[in-house]
Amino acid sequence: MAGASMIGGLGLAARAQSAVTKPRDGAADVLDVAIVGAGLAGLTTARDLNRAGCQSFVVLEARDRVGGRTFNHDLGDGRVSEAGGQWIGPGQTAVVDLARELEVDTFPTYYAGKTVFLAGDARLAVDLHGTFGTDEKIAAKLNALARDVPSGAPWLAPNAAELDALSVGDWLAQQAIAPADRVGWDATVLLSGGATPAQMGLLHFLSMVNSAHSDYAQLDSIKDSAQETRFVGGSQILSIKMAKELDAHLRMTCPVRAITDWDGEVVSLHTDRGVVRARRVVMAIHPALCNRIDFSPNLPNERAMLQRHWPAYTPGRKTAMVYARPFWRDKGLNGHVLQAGGPVLWAYDNSPPDAAIGVINSFIQNGAVPSDPELATRMLTAIYARALGDDALTPQQYHDVDWGTCDTWTLTCVAAIPPRFWTTYGKALHPPCGRLIWSGTETADIWAGYMDGAVRAGHRSALQVLNSLGAHA
Amino acid sequence: MTRRIVIGVVVVVSVVAIVLGPQAFDYLRFERNLADAAKASEADGGAWPQRADECTLCHGHQGDSVNQVYADLAGQPAEYLAAQLHAFADGHRASPFMAPLAMTLNDGDVDRLSAHFARQTATNNDTFAPDAALSAQGKHLSGSCAACHGDRFMGRDRNPRLAGQGYDYLLAQMNAYADNTRSDPTGAMNALAAALSDVDRRAVATYLASYPVAENVEGDHESN
Repeated sequence: MAGASMIGGLGLAARAQSAVTKPRDGAADVLDVAIVGAGLAGLTTARDLNRAGCQSFVVLEARDRVGGRTFNHDLGDGRVSEAGGQWIGPGQTAVVDLARELEVDTFPTYYAGKTVFLAGDARLAVDLHGTFGTDEKIAAKLNALARDVPSGAPWLAPNAAELDALSVGDWLAQQAIAPADRVGWDATVLLSGGATPAQMGLLHFLSMVNSAHSDYAQLDSIKDSAQETRFVGGSQILSIKMAKELDAHLRMTCPVRAITDWDGEVVSLHTDRGVVRARRVVMAIHPALCNRIDFSPNLPNERAMLQRHWPAYTPGRKTAMVYARPFWRDKGLNGHVLQAGGPVLWAYDNSPPDAAIGVINSFIQNGAVPSDPELATRMLTAIYARALGDDALTPQQYHDVDWGTCDTWTLTCVAAIPPRFWTTYGKALHPPCGRLIWSGTETADIWAGYMDGAVRAGHRSALQVLNSLGAHA
Repeated sequence: MTRRIVIGVVVVVSVVAIVLGPQAFDYLRFERNLADAAKASEADGGAWPQRADECTLCHGHQGDSVNQVYADLAGQPAEYLAAQLHAFADGHRASPFMAPLAMTLNDGDVDRLSAHFARQTATNNDTFAPDAALSAQGKHLSGSCAACHGDRFMGRDRNPRLAGQGYDYLLAQMNAYADNTRSDPTGAMNALAAALSDVDRRAVATYLASYPVAENVEGDHESN
């Protein structure tokens, strides 16, 4: 069993107890650990430290909420719809174990029935049986290439330089994709990888396929795939429950503006609510957010360059349209809509498990839908009405999160790593800098960029901290 | 020969219709629309897939954003667009989104993307509802803008089109000039924006965001 219990299993708990809580020389205000970021990774680290007997830590969160890139819209009556990361699938055992420990149940994503495709004035309804109708021959080629690309360190692939020189688009262009099939590849690369094919690095994309057991279908489908399962109460519930356990250690609305002396024995974190001093710091935020912090002394050049070039340009915008009931199900439709050319990239049934209300969530093109909620509702319901019927014209609620503009502490969705990035900057992703330990889903060995990766990174960071403190006790 | 092909197509369509039912025609229309869209895209922007696709996610279809937050690229002077991409890449213009994206572009990419969006058609900002009083105040304050930004604020050389640009984007840029988080190489915009109050900036943004783009002017907007 992965997860926090692993710490006890490895016999680290006893050592941590003596090492971490032992009074040390120096000022009483010096903590053993400061964790930057109360998303899934940071809170998992904090929970592991707590369970290992370490009480000398704090979690610093810039926002007034926990959960990072997971967020639940409150639809009333205890029902929610997710605005950020929301699905889990086969092989994502770390987040499943965490959910089990937190007593969070799961339920299947709804896909029974026909998916609607829109292209110009054409409408087509097809039962895809839980897939997106991917070309299996192309997928098989991707699978074969992915087997040699380590998911957590793609730059170590034997042919890394050759693969990293190409975008996914460059590679697809060599596969003689029919014009009518291109829009499908545009959508699948964007939805899974976070960038359009011409901007997406092939090496990185293959590392994602590698996470999915080198089986593209396990990455980009619903059934038996990474979009298969949802959490009862929404994905943010995991962080909310962990935060409850750790309440005394959390400092909210507490952005870290500067970090000094990271190369010394005691690091100072300068926040909007004062200075925090700690012997170890876990940076549980993505590399582009690290650019918002002034480091003194400067970070090593390789790390600074990684952060500076980190692709933070795919903010993602996700909407939720709430209806009295999931009326599309009566018509044999699954509520899923794929619109060639947008503005809807993919709409899907995101109703709660009891289906007492109907929810259509959509990934939309940020600039192609008005920012004004009334105008956006009008545009989106007109599209849904074409796809699902006129009942779509009378929603009860509309929710909209553009992750690029909702606050300044997100910037971007998944990391859409471009060509030549990993072979140029990858080596600086993991190695600690002085007392700084780099965490966050981007550092995970498998399922990097996913919720599962965040939990894995959180566990690993806790072990790094405990080992490091123990070694120096 | 032609007759034989026509008969052949009719037979194929009939067979498809019998096998797949009424959906066959939906399918054929769907395929035709996708093929037509692919052809139009190639004619406009070159072979699939295109670098510009990444830009249009935020900046709207063909660079014509309907979202007030994201800048319109359509119809902007190519020289202006290229200068901005270089400025994002070298740090002269700060943006956590655009900086890493611009750093992935070489000079050829910058020139191609700038030319691509410069030749797209700008449209009126119909998704913005201007406050009449603010717009009137903005008109009074915007008199000097055309000197650099061109006739009817349509942009010129290194100076962008302001007419029909997103309201939130315009306001954010004026605020950035005022607090010097964005620098105009000539210093003019920093001085002008700093001289405006918060309300003045909102008024100017309101007036310019609702100003019709030149190709779509009906009557004399100035006399409205």
